[in-house]
Amino acid sequence: MAVSRVTLQTPAGVCGLFRRQLLQPSLSHPTILSTRSIYGEYKRPGQPPDKRWPWEKIRFDFSKGVEGIQKHFGLLKDEFVGRLRGPEGRPLLDHMLEQTLVQWEFRGPESLDQWVVSSDKEIGGQSEAYLKLGKNNTTCMLYGTLCSVPPRDGETRYSGYCTLRSKQTLLSFDRKRHFDWSTFNTLYIRFRGDGRPWMINISAEMYFSHNKNDIYSYFLYTRGGPYWQEVKIPFSKFFLSSRGRIQDDQHCLWLDKVCWTNSSAKSHSRKEYHFENIANLRM
Amino acid sequence: MKITRFLMRTQHAGWITLFVKTPIKPSCFHAALLRPPIPRICIGQEARWIHCGSTVYKDKPDNSDLSKLFENETKAKSLVTHDDLFERTAKDAKNKASFNRVVDVFNKQDIRRRGHVEFIYAALQKMPEFGVERDLAVYNKLLDVFPKEVFVPRNFIQRMFNHYPRQQECAVQVLEQMENYGIVPNVETKVLLVQIFGEKGHPVRKYQRLMYWLPKFKHINPFPVPFELTQDPIDLARFSLTRIANDLDAKITVYQYPSTDVTETGEEVTQPHIVGIQGPEQISLLAKHNPNRPVFVEGPFPLWLRKTCVQYYLLRADLVPPEERVQDEPDPELVGPNQCLFYPWQIDLDLSRDMGDDFSYDVEDVEEGPVYAMCMAGQGDQATLARWICGLQETNPILGRIPTVFRLESGSRELQTAADVQHDSGQNSQSGSEQEHIIEEEQLHSQRMKQ
Repeated sequence: MAVSRVTLQTPAGVCGLFRRQLLQPSLSHPTILSTRSIYGEYKRPGQPPDKRWPWEKIRFDFSKGVEGIQKHFGLLKDEFVGRLRGPEGRPLLDHMLEQTLVQWEFRGPESLDQWVVSSDKEIGGQSEAYLKLGKNNTTCMLYGTLCSVPPRDGETRYSGYCTLRSKQTLLSFDRKRHFDWSTFNTLYIRFRGDGRPWMINISAEMYFSHNKNDIYSYFLYTRGGPYWQEVKIPFSKFFLSSRGRIQDDQHCLWLDKVCWTNSSAKSHSRKEYHFENIANLRM
Repeated sequence: MKITRFLMRTQHAGWITLFVKTPIKPSCFHAALLRPPIPRICIGQEARWIHCGSTVYKDKPDNSDLSKLFENETKAKSLVTHDDLFERTAKDAKNKASFNRVVDVFNKQDIRRRGHVEFIYAALQKMPEFGVERDLAVYNKLLDVFPKEVFVPRNFIQRMFNHYPRQQECAVQVLEQMENYGIVPNVETKVLLVQIFGEKGHPVRKYQRLMYWLPKFKHINPFPVPFELTQDPIDLARFSLTRIANDLDAKITVYQYPSTDVTETGEEVTQPHIVGIQGPEQISLLAKHNPNRPVFVEGPFPLWLRKTCVQYYLLRADLVPPEERVQDEPDPELVGPNQCLFYPWQIDLDLSRDMGDDFSYDVEDVEEGPVYAMCMAGQGDQATLARWICGLQETNPILGRIPTVFRLESGSRELQTAADVQHDSGQNSQSGSEQEHIIEEEQLHSQRMKQ
């Protein structure tokens, strides 16, 4: 019986996967027999693993290098100047006294660049997902079709999802920029859906590589209909899961290094959906 | 020879005890064979030997049983999957009774339950076809297929090394299917799992996780949808309209019941149902609507209730630009120097505001035009919706003076031309409309002045 990737994430199961890799050494390709092979680069199910030697992955390009230097040093200068003004470039009084922070708002086509839309298609499924600006350029609309026929790669058992994820913002020199939401305690979303339940996920940057796939999630139930729905989810309600499995050892979300947020939906059959997200996410 | 066969057949440390216990009288074997088929109570080593491999059994010469074995081996030359059992039973009816019958047949045909793992996997796949995927009793019956007490680890080495991993994985899959359908297991499931796998195996851990998380998640939907939705279109429309109306005071009116009439010429004329909803706030908003601006009938919009998709239509108006907005004059008794200070109508202080708030962003910027009414109809053509507007006119007489524009997305259906539209109130002058078929939004501009 082909045991899929999903089921092997139980604590004992992870050891099972590790044992399996040890039993199949291949001398022609580099194999790293350590935890890095399990928690290393994400291998899309159904794709052959990337077996190039590390030096084969480097690429040289001069003009891009010059542009890069200008861009990154510019960002670095902005950061230094911003630090003098206050935390995260904003005045200290603002940071201390604010009750709400508008994190994302949809006010024009450039705001769509902050979001990444993905669906089943990347693992070989048949769902589609598209993002566009709604009427008046003030909302964003995620729409498409969901199809839960699993891709025939022998590994995946369940399928049919779409997600809208915020892009990882970068500081100078391609360092990850984290959101510091430690002064806030609630997530506020204004949206309009079509009656289907969605899931809000938040990921925070952790120290150990074991926690790379840790995601904090909570449900978002849409009512459907023409009226906007506002939801306030306290951050303490989010539960911890890793690679899709709820963990036994739960702890609360640490807000000082938040990487990204996303909302995702899954269906049981072929369905069309739309999800309009207004305006903002406030805290 | 005997020893090598022992070592090859047995996979766990239980062989030590088995080897020690081998020199036993043959009479015990016969007694064990005559025992009832499913020994639930563990009677020491004898019950174990019945379930545990046929090595010891073969070594004891017993002609009748050996011949049976050979017969079975010759019969089972072709590869028969367990799906066939289900297919054969499914010819008459696919329901819970036939599913249970298949499981019983499997249980009875072999006391050792050979191939139970594959059978259970096949049964899990077939459950939706038989319609029993939400039935806890069926899952318990499926878990009952596992032989009892064979897979319970008996010492710390067995517990460490994932005793009988295939069977544990299979039971975990059964529980995972229960989790997918949101079924909370009961104490019978726990008793079965403990009997089969012991208290510290993966299935029991999975059961404990289910019992922790499923009750938490079962009732957190603030807009729950029942599993069995009504098939009656009017009841379904009622349920979905109350759901999307967001107003407990809103009233549902059935403007037309579905009926099939046979006209004189013998043609069948079906009338679709029309169910509408409107709240008192919407009535008052519509009464204040400026008759010079049109109202739009938009639709159809989808609404998903679990696996059914229903479609609703809206009556809404565009946003009034700020220069034309009429401010309501407040009652001078409620606001002003004569107001009651103990129960003021308006307070200028906005108590939720704080110094550090971001005022540059305003949710009010994203306002949309008001929605005056919603409806669900059997057919989405203009005639049916016009019938709805007529019905609405009884409670909102201003609709007679407001031009109505139909913005219907036809999709695969064809839009009816304006000439086909019949008005019940027998109105005059319908200006001919040219239908412009735009891919994104189809606007049927039929300016009909109603009186």
